[in-house]
Amino acid sequence: MLNFLTTFSRRSTKKMDCLADKSVWYSFIEGNVQAYSAIFRNFYPGLHNYGLKISGNETLTEDCLQDFFVYLYDNRENLGEIKSIKSYLFVSFRRALLKSLKKERAFTSEIPEQAQLENFEFSPEEIAIKQEFTAIKTATLTTILNTLSKKERESIYLKYYSDLKVSEIAIVMDITYQSVLNNIQRAFSKIRKELENKAVQEIFLSN
Amino acid sequence: MKKGKQPSLNNLLEDTSFINWAKESNQNDVAFWNKWIEQNPDHVDIIYDAKAMVLGISFNNTSLDKSKVDNALASVLKKIDNKATTKQPKKLFNLNKTMLRYAAVMVLLITSAVMIYQLSDKATTVVHKTAYGEIMDLTLPDGTNVVLNGNSEIQYEKLNPRSVTLAGEAYFKVRKKLETNAKFWVHTEDLVVEVYGTEFNVNSREEKTDVLLDEGSVKLLLENGDRKQMVPGDFVSFSRNNKTLSQEKVTSELTYASWKNGTYIFNKVPLAEVLKYIGNTYGLETNYQNEELKDIIISGGIPNQNLNICLEAIQKSTGIKIKHIENELLIINNTINQN
Repeated sequence: MLNFLTTFSRRSTKKMDCLADKSVWYSFIEGNVQAYSAIFRNFYPGLHNYGLKISGNETLTEDCLQDFFVYLYDNRENLGEIKSIKSYLFVSFRRALLKSLKKERAFTSEIPEQAQLENFEFSPEEIAIKQEFTAIKTATLTTILNTLSKKERESIYLKYYSDLKVSEIAIVMDITYQSVLNNIQRAFSKIRKELENKAVQEIFLSN
Repeated sequence: MKKGKQPSLNNLLEDTSFINWAKESNQNDVAFWNKWIEQNPDHVDIIYDAKAMVLGISFNNTSLDKSKVDNALASVLKKIDNKATTKQPKKLFNLNKTMLRYAAVMVLLITSAVMIYQLSDKATTVVHKTAYGEIMDLTLPDGTNVVLNGNSEIQYEKLNPRSVTLAGEAYFKVRKKLETNAKFWVHTEDLVVEVYGTEFNVNSREEKTDVLLDEGSVKLLLENGDRKQMVPGDFVSFSRNNKTLSQEKVTSELTYASWKNGTYIFNKVPLAEVLKYIGNTYGLETNYQNEELKDIIISGGIPNQNLNICLEAIQKSTGIKIKHIENELLIINNTINQN
């Protein structure tokens, strides 16, 4: 029962944060630097991590992210009506980052566009160890996660790491709502099967 | 959820009862879905996929060093500032432009003043109304959060959003105004709740108003001029009609304000009261086959976002039969009915 209450209260505060965000957003549009700074502080870490996952390059991510925030301020009056601030920031930053990645890679070598998400990898340290999860399982889960397709990985990342709603992920990845759901379902289906296989193997190995 | 049919992922993920099962957070739902799975072994895969999606993967949020964020912000703010100052000298007709700007501001001020004046008579009242069974999350212009229960209505003047009128039931999280210490008022038929910044539940159905205080402190202003100060955990009920004020201490706020979390939690409450409450949010009238049924005692959590599941849970825990015909609930003693 207690568990149920905490999950729900957490959910409701999250919702309220979003609503509070909106009014902060409007005062940013009006040129309020404090509101702008609050948005920056709120979203910079998440976008930073997302950018790092996409590019695998810290300097490039940081430069691009800072330029992105400057651009945001300069063009604040032309941004139009925004449904979800979070998905707007994620999708715009993603676009900007892919653009500068393309530019950079044009100098080094010809890499097809799809390979741009090559670095979308998880590390065992990133997975929170719940009580039922041993260190071995965490490592196994990481390995399985990294065998998923890039789209599946990005969907999982945006849903559970960045805490985006399915509808927001659809906007960020520019795919349909149903495709996002399918990506996540397929991912968990694979994870489940792999974990079962691993469990079976472990039983045989231990005997 | 009907038997036999493959449930859609979408429906499962939006079903409160299903989520409760996945998180093992409500015994009624756990029992319901375990039984459902037993009866529908063909759909186990999608059920377990959906469960995994609800539970998700917990990531350690390797959050960035605060100093790093501050540094990045400082350099961004500097860039913004530089741009603003380097742009200025380029302007040729500086004086003219500033004059124009003042003129524009003046025009804007005048038009907005006229508009405010025109609008002040009409369309200054904001009304939010929920349908039966609907729960609405609202944020008022001052930042106060309101969760409006089903079949309820809240209204306020645009210019004065800290004074609201409520018919029905709502949960308030009032944002404190530290600078001005401004108060917040909830008006009902029976009384006025006066607060600074706090969390409380107001229910003004059944020709009385119940107020439950979760946090902070509130003052009730009664019609006869009486005032009543409440402390957290207080549950006060006042009726304008018979002018009676009752007060009790609530050990857990669950029974009264749990509706906003998607579950009604009843602690040894007679069936008649439970159904009166549900009837109010869904707009249903209840009739009993015999009066004794009213006294059946109910304890436990009942999911409230789907009427059918809600009624199913009551039927299961009491053994009675509930017939739902249009706007009426007919309560029948199950054992008699079978004979």
